Amino acid sequence: MTLLFNMIGIVSDNWLLLLVGQFPNGPLGGIAATLILSILGIALAFPLSVTMALARLSPWPVLRWPATALVYIVRGVPLLLIILWVYFLLPLLIGESVPGFVTMLATLVIYEGAFLSEIVRAGITALPRGQMDAARALGHSHLGAMRYVILPQALFNMIPSIISQFVSTIKETTLGYIINVPELTFAAGQINNRLLTKPFEVYFMLAIIYFIVCWTLTKLASTLERRIAARRARSMDGVAAPALAAAPAGASRT
Amino acid sequence: MSHQAPSNTAAPMIEFIGINKFYGSLPALVDVNAEVKKGEVVVVCGPSGSGKSTLIRTVNRLEEIQSGVLRFDGQDVHAKIGSSAMNHLRSRIGFVFQSFNLFPHLSVLDNVMLSPVKVNGIKRSKAREIALQLLDRVGLSSKAENYPAQLSGGQQQRVAIARALAMEPPAMLFDEPTSALDPEMVGEVLSVMRGLARDGMTMMCVTHEMNFARDVADRVWFMDAGRLLESAPPSAFFGSPQHPRAQRFLSDLRAR
Repeated sequence: MTLLFNMIGIVSDNWLLLLVGQFPNGPLGGIAATLILSILGIALAFPLSVTMALARLSPWPVLRWPATALVYIVRGVPLLLIILWVYFLLPLLIGESVPGFVTMLATLVIYEGAFLSEIVRAGITALPRGQMDAARALGHSHLGAMRYVILPQALFNMIPSIISQFVSTIKETTLGYIINVPELTFAAGQINNRLLTKPFEVYFMLAIIYFIVCWTLTKLASTLERRIAARRARSMDGVAAPALAAAPAGASRT
Repeated sequence: MSHQAPSNTAAPMIEFIGINKFYGSLPALVDVNAEVKKGEVVVVCGPSGSGKSTLIRTVNRLEEIQSGVLRFDGQDVHAKIGSSAMNHLRSRIGFVFQSFNLFPHLSVLDNVMLSPVKVNGIKRSKAREIALQLLDRVGLSSKAENYPAQLSGGQQQRVAIARALAMEPPAMLFDEPTSALDPEMVGEVLSVMRGLARDGMTMMCVTHEMNFARDVADRVWFMDAGRLLESAPPSAFFGSPQHPRAQRFLSDLRAR
C-alpha cells in the first residue's frame, strides 16, 4: 500500500517531466519524446523497408545482394552496437556533432527498416502466385504489378505486424538512455537520481507506463488481425465482404 | 458448328515449332509442333499431368522453354526481347486462369479497367465505358461496383474473361477455365466462351469439357506425357481416335 502511495506521489510530483521532459526550457523529452521517436522511426523506416523488400525480391542480383547483406548484418548485430556505431561514426561522416535524438532516430530507421523489410517481403510472398501471373499476363511490368496489384494487398494484410513492430520500437527507444536521449526512461532516471531512496518505486512506475502503452497497441494489433483474418476467410468462401471495399481502395485510384 | 471455320489457308496466330521443356531432368513438353490459325478454336485435352497447362502457359511466357520457337501473331515470344516489348506482347494475349485470379482489393469494374488504364494508357472515362460494355457482354453489368469476394465462382470467371477482353487481344487462351467451378456454374462460363467463338475470336482452351470441344472446337489436340499425340477435327477425334492412348482416354471418359 505504501508502495502504491509512493508511486502516485512520484507521478504527481513529476508528471510534467515524465510527459515532456525539460520542455519548453530544454529539449523535448519524456513519453512525448519516446512516442515521437517511435512514430518517426517507423514512418521513415517504412518506405526504406518497402524499397529493401522489393530489392530483395528483384530479379536483378545487383539490387538483391546489397539489400540482403544489409538485412543479415542488422539482424545479426545487437541494437546497442548499432547505436554506438551511429553515435561515433555519424559525426565523423558529416563533420559536426549530432544531437542524441537524431542519432537514435537514424539508428531506429536502419534497424526497423531491416526488420520491417522482412515483414514486407513475407507479406508479398504470402500472396497467391496467381496474382502476379495475372498481372503479368495483362501486360503489367514487374514494378507495375507490385504497385497496383501486389503491394496494396500485401501492405493491408501486414497492418497488424507493422503495429507489433511499432511496439518493439517503443521498447527499443529505452536504449537511447545510454547516449543521453531525453526519452521516458531517461526522465525516470533523472527522478531516481533526485530521490535517491526510491529506485524500486520509480522503475516499477516506469514499467507500468510502458506496459500500458504497449499492451494497448498489442491489443489493437490482435483485434485488427482477427478482423483481417475473418475478412480473408469470408472472401475465400465467396460470401459478401463489404467492409473490405473501403480499406485499400485508395491505391486503385492513383 | 455455329461459327465460321477458318479456311486451311488462314495465317497462323500461334505456332509451336519443336518446343521442348524440362523441369530439371523431367520432360514437361517434348518436341511439340502445332499451330492455331487465326479465327480457329483449338481445345487441348489429355490426362492430368500431360503438359496441357504447361503448353498454354508457354504462349505468354509464364513458363520458359528450353528449345524450340514459339510465335504469337508472327512474333517470337521466347526470343531475347526487352522487358517492355515482352510486356506489350503479353498485353495482346488474353489469358484466363483456372483460379480466376481476380484482384480482390479492386471492384469488379476496377479489375477490368486497371490494365487498359495503367498498361495501355487509356483515359479512365473511356476505359470505364469499355469495361461496362464488356461486363454487359458477360452478363454482369449489375455487379460492376461489387468486389470479387461477393461474386460466385462462375461470376468471377466471367469477370476474368471481361478483364482479359478489355485489352482487345487478338487471341484468348483458357487454362482449365471451368475446373475450379461448382458444376452448376460451368454452363454460364462455357456460354460466354461459345459467344466469343461465334464472334470469330481465336481461342486455345485447355479443358475437360468434352461437349464444349465437340460443339465449338475446330480442332482437338490430345496430349500425353508432354507430347502432342493427336490433332484432329472433333468429329474425327471423338469418332475414331487414331492414337491408342487417345482411344484409352476417351473410353475412360465414357466409362465414368
